[in-house]
Amino acid sequence: MLLTARDLRWREICWPDLSVAEGEIVGISGPSGAGKSMWLRMLAALEKGEGTLALGGRGLSELGGPGWRTQVLYVPQDPPAFDASGEEVWARLCSLRAREGVRERPALGLAPELWSRSMAELSGGERQRIVLAMALAVEPVVYLLDEPTSALDEESEALVEAALAGRTCVWVSHSRAQLERVATRVIAL
Amino acid sequence: MNPIDLSLFDLAGAASLIVVNGALSVWLKLGLERKLAVASVRSVVQLLILGYVLVPVFSIAHPALVFGLGALMVVLAGRAAVRRSSRTFRGAWGAGLFAMTLGAVPTTIFATAMLIQVEPFWTPQYFVPLLGMVLGNALTGVSLGVDTALKGFVLGRGQVELLLAFGATRWEAARGVVADAVRTGMIPILNSMTVVGLVTIPGMMTGQILGGTPPELAARYQILILFLIAGAVGIGTMVAVLLTMRAVFDDADRLRLDRITEVG
Repeated sequence: MLLTARDLRWREICWPDLSVAEGEIVGISGPSGAGKSMWLRMLAALEKGEGTLALGGRGLSELGGPGWRTQVLYVPQDPPAFDASGEEVWARLCSLRAREGVRERPALGLAPELWSRSMAELSGGERQRIVLAMALAVEPVVYLLDEPTSALDEESEALVEAALAGRTCVWVSHSRAQLERVATRVIAL
Repeated sequence: MNPIDLSLFDLAGAASLIVVNGALSVWLKLGLERKLAVASVRSVVQLLILGYVLVPVFSIAHPALVFGLGALMVVLAGRAAVRRSSRTFRGAWGAGLFAMTLGAVPTTIFATAMLIQVEPFWTPQYFVPLLGMVLGNALTGVSLGVDTALKGFVLGRGQVELLLAFGATRWEAARGVVADAVRTGMIPILNSMTVVGLVTIPGMMTGQILGGTPPELAARYQILILFLIAGAVGIGTMVAVLLTMRAVFDDADRLRLDRITEVG
């Protein structure tokens, strides 16, 4: 298994053990407040809780937080409205030591000029696609996607789904139809 | 020229200005009158006590007494620096104390031992007031720096965490917040350095001139003090902000906002 999580727990919330194989898209569904986003944040090692995480047999302590997150990338549902353009944020991400040699960004239906506008001026859907495009370009081993198309129209949604096809993902969505389309299996919380 | 004596009546006259402020506060419903009263009473009591404490420290001039008073000043300044903030974190007190010590003590010793070259370097008439000036200003820098850093991490969480999510180290993710906090901590001293002599005549120089020192010598002392303060504010603020950053990230470079608590 590529990604495994065992006995994950944050305060009173416990999650089932998880194993994700390469190329698999594991869908996560469940009512609001069930702990879906928190599970992704735990998997991304952005939250401190209990349990063990491993990627290809290597644990979090071995890889270190930044090393882990370089390979297991969490994409938030509502990306922050930086007071900087997507281009500037992208330049900053490219300058990270862990991110040398990144690929080109996919378009995802975004007009190129949107990249030079302040992210604070963009709509939620545009910010969502900008961050997704950056995530797709850096090619981590596993994507942790928190409602990645929640602010998108059907056309953009299809583009995002197509771009993510074949990649290893843990995909949280409220839409049962979407999970049926993209996921190889679904875990209901 | 001998200084003209100030009577208690004169001080009461000066206090009438505070009463005017209080009246304004009541009129405009600023709610500051109680704070003004407490701050005024505190300054009177603290300065009178300081006057009495300095008499034996200056006349006995024993290193234990001077360093004891110096240590007390550093501790109180460290505490005050982190208590002003609207947010705090575990270990803030220690961070404030460490930052104040590292910012103020070496710069003061450098000034008395290497620049003024007073023998011994802890001669209380020089060491204590210089340390006090440096601490007072470093306190403002440290307190502004820590407050801005904590605010930056809380309000800018999304941005810091997005960088972390893409594999940034805590240092890479926090760089913007840290730079902003140090800059903010340095603003007051940079401002006062810009306008000094043009718009403002600093308190110490005023005091010296009123006390009979030739203005040219008073100006030289003031320049020395300003540079000392700038050095101490820079070092103190930087240390305090870096310690704040260290406190709010854990060993896996996670941003731990649960370690920050809102005060009041």
